[in-house]
Amino acid sequence: MPARLTGHAGALRDAAFALPVVLLLAAMPLVTGAYLLHVLTITLYYVILAASWNLLAGYTGQFSLAQQSFAAVGAYGSGLLIKYFAFPLWASIPCGVVAAALLGWLLGRMVLRMHTIYLAIATWAFAETIHIVLTAAYQITRGELGLSVPALYSNVRPEAYYYTFLGLASASLLLMHLLIRSPLGYFMRAIRDDELRAESMGIDTTRVKVMVFTLSSAFAGLAGAFYAHYTIVLSPQMADFGEMAKLIIMVVVGGLGSFMGPLIGAPPVQIAMTYLARYGEWDMVIFALIVIVLMRTTIGGIVPLAGRAWSRLRPRRGTA
Amino acid sequence: MDALLTTTGLFKRFGGVVAASGVSLSLRPGEIRGLIGPNGAGKTTLVNLITGIYGPSGGDIRFRGESLVGLAPHQIARRGLLRSFQVCRLFGNLSVAENLLVADLARGAHAFAETRQRAARARELLDITNLARLADQPAKALSGGQRALLQVACGFMVPELRCYVLDEPFAGINPVIKDAIVELIRQANEQRGIAFLIVSHEMPVMRRLCHGVSVLMDGHIVSEGTLDEVAAHPQVIAAYLGKSWA
Repeated sequence: MPARLTGHAGALRDAAFALPVVLLLAAMPLVTGAYLLHVLTITLYYVILAASWNLLAGYTGQFSLAQQSFAAVGAYGSGLLIKYFAFPLWASIPCGVVAAALLGWLLGRMVLRMHTIYLAIATWAFAETIHIVLTAAYQITRGELGLSVPALYSNVRPEAYYYTFLGLASASLLLMHLLIRSPLGYFMRAIRDDELRAESMGIDTTRVKVMVFTLSSAFAGLAGAFYAHYTIVLSPQMADFGEMAKLIIMVVVGGLGSFMGPLIGAPPVQIAMTYLARYGEWDMVIFALIVIVLMRTTIGGIVPLAGRAWSRLRPRRGTA
Repeated sequence: MDALLTTTGLFKRFGGVVAASGVSLSLRPGEIRGLIGPNGAGKTTLVNLITGIYGPSGGDIRFRGESLVGLAPHQIARRGLLRSFQVCRLFGNLSVAENLLVADLARGAHAFAETRQRAARARELLDITNLARLADQPAKALSGGQRALLQVACGFMVPELRCYVLDEPFAGINPVIKDAIVELIRQANEQRGIAFLIVSHEMPVMRRLCHGVSVLMDGHIVSEGTLDEVAAHPQVIAAYLGKSWA
């Protein structure tokens, strides 16, 4: 029986990889200082965000440029409900997630029949609208002055936030993994490869695309809402296109359309960007060049490259 | 016997071009019907109209008594009417086995739990098509002939399949794979009673397979009957050999 007919081999391999990685990350506070822990906490936020965009662009072929907006909607949604309606945190965060999901659903409906550059432009325009609204409606959002929101915990110990984001990232990635291995995951990849064929086989491509837009936005909103109560001051910068560019770099460096891509790509990119920040915008130039090289060649990111190297090594091991 | 699939006065206009001009066609359950005609006759347009890729400008299409006009392609597929494409279309990054699985899952949520039946059907098709050793390979790695074979085989994963519209399934492939596709069609027709509408220029294969043939020219049916009967029709001779032969 081919492995692809049962799916067991892939699930076991992924679990065997994930468990030691989670254990290693759980042990990080024992060996790192407060600043590096902060960098890792922010990295975990980007892992969720990058993985949520990978669902849409990598698995479904919907090259949306609005993912950062949904994180901002989740963050501002939660923050504004607390500020103006005195919502408790346990209620404001889910509301932020629902707001992001609803907006994702709406965007999904609007761009249903769009492909390639048209989809990219429409979603970029949508994201810019969110960015401008957050900046211009300063009477409500406080614009560039920043919106203060309460912290998640009363203490400021970085370990608490690190473990919160580690748990959040692990749970989100597990859910995404289950989604990808479900029938919906097969439909997503079918649509990415050939939408007309998928439709002709009986797949309701409209429904699948809207579902993926909604779920992907919900994950981004979840990450954004928690991020808000970690950083405690929100700025419209969160919805800036630079954030989207960062996500694209992370996913492309790791491997677009592979589950491990954002997980492998986000940490080095975020850590390098943090330490390169002292050189101004040059970090983006360096990473843009890396993306151009990856796109021009057939390397396709770290994960596909490692996969090809592994498949070349395997027969040799067998014959040795 | 009641018709399985009928088109009545089907009309399709693209701007100033009339691609289908009152096409009326009828297919009985379990029938294998060939659809022939010169290039540009409107054969693929007719396939696209029947399967919902295009909406007709006029006329009606009925499948098992129900009108298909206004339905989306996936809704038509779920009623048991599937198609293959002239230029082979597969999910290239999915494996051969996954291409078969997706065809089955696409039937709807009721099919999700039928894991064992799905695996059994896929295994059987992989054996029949001789693609078992390539089951874990991405579909894009297959040869042109193997891709054509897999494309046709995917449809047979669907237990509810009643009518399969094949657009040029034999074009540009070697005789061995051609025979494998013919065998798949024949088995499905004899064992499951599936009806076929096959668009092809391969007359020897059409002669072997089809119970009857319809000839489409300039967007309408000009002749119907056995292959020998339609081959004697003056308009068909003129279209294929030139007006001086008619």
